[in-house]
Amino acid sequence: MVRLLRHDLHTLTGVYALDALDTQAERDRFERHLNRCQSCASEVRGLRETATRLAMAAARTPPPGLRHAVMAAVTRTRQLPAIAHHARPEPRLGWVPRLAGAVAAVATAVAVALGVVLAGTQHQLDRSRAQNQAIAAVLAAPDAHVLTSKTSKGGSASVVVSAAERKMVVTTAGLPPLPSSKVYELWLIGAHKNIRPAGLLPLPVNGHTSPLLASGLLHGDTFGVTVEPAGGSPQPTTRPFVLIPLTG
Amino acid sequence: MNPRGSRASQPEPARPGGSEQYLGQLLALIARGDEGAFESLYDHLSGPVYGLIQKVVRDPAQSEEVSQEVLLEVWRTAARFDAAKGSAATWVMTIAHRRAIDRVRSSSAASAREQRTAERLIVEDEVADTVQASLDRERVRRCLDGLTEVQRESITLAYYGGYSYRQVAGVLGAALGTIKTRIRDGLIRMRDCLGVEW
Repeated sequence: MVRLLRHDLHTLTGVYALDALDTQAERDRFERHLNRCQSCASEVRGLRETATRLAMAAARTPPPGLRHAVMAAVTRTRQLPAIAHHARPEPRLGWVPRLAGAVAAVATAVAVALGVVLAGTQHQLDRSRAQNQAIAAVLAAPDAHVLTSKTSKGGSASVVVSAAERKMVVTTAGLPPLPSSKVYELWLIGAHKNIRPAGLLPLPVNGHTSPLLASGLLHGDTFGVTVEPAGGSPQPTTRPFVLIPLTG
Repeated sequence: MNPRGSRASQPEPARPGGSEQYLGQLLALIARGDEGAFESLYDHLSGPVYGLIQKVVRDPAQSEEVSQEVLLEVWRTAARFDAAKGSAATWVMTIAHRRAIDRVRSSSAASAREQRTAERLIVEDEVADTVQASLDRERVRRCLDGLTEVQRESITLAYYGGYSYRQVAGVLGAALGTIKTRIRDGLIRMRDCLGVEW
């Protein structure tokens, strides 16, 4: 009887992952079971990630007023602290240096994920690990902050800047796709027309480009993106369609 | 501009790239009060948040209201995101889905929802209005097509319709235990078809 009951609970993983249990009492009961049943918890994680794909497929452009309303509310809304006595599993790989606080755990997760995505030959793996560590270091820098701007072509660019590290990490969302003869090139634009190339954007996955690291930031630099012929240009040949001053 | 054409040379984008994981980084910065990071997260996830909520809630004005509540909750509780428990996108979408369900299950319009049929909720009825959504949608639709009818209808009603599994059983005229196992079997098939890693 007990075994039957357990089995009964286990098969609720799908229903629970879709938030389709009927009552709070049912949810509480199943969550107690999850705490004891590791394989159930693992299955729920996978099924929840699956549900997220269903959510992504339902994406719709939100009403134009939403962004302003949310950002205005954010500036006057106080944040909650992390829950105390929070047991966090150790990072799965040993090569990422231990970093402080919540950032470290997340940085590790990103590095692991990027490692998986970029993994190829051992040589590539070593290179991508070095790159991921560098990205994690920028994101975990105490002075790291994010600057986001819409572009005149649509979509947006985000730059995580650490002035102390003199580095930045660039991602984009929703830039218009380019023909294969063109690329998006990144630039650091300093005083006196001191314009330095800062890399080429990788091809987007689902409209997003994976984090790209650029180093050698100088005080007063502005970040810009242009469209260039495939392979990139030593100096921009078109006007930047997004400019983000990286003050500090 | 032909988005599909320009993607032809790209490897199959079957799983989220590094930028998907980058959302976790953003949440860590948001937890430190970084409004720029939140704006970036908004650009990545406001479409899925609004789209999912609108599927469940239907009414556009209410959907916008719930979306705002959800995004604000992400800002407020970012420090409680735990990367060990799942991806950042899943953390946000779970908040969105639960809030949407709270809204419809508590609303007086709940009885009117009973009139809806499963077909109206199937993804193909909707027109994708972003390139990203249309790619994701194509993949999800392909995988939904691989399910049995009961699996597909149960999952669609429960997730997009916001129905409890008891309500799903009622709508489809099936036993509760049947719906329970069909949802699980169907989701496992979806997970494998989509190549979800966790």
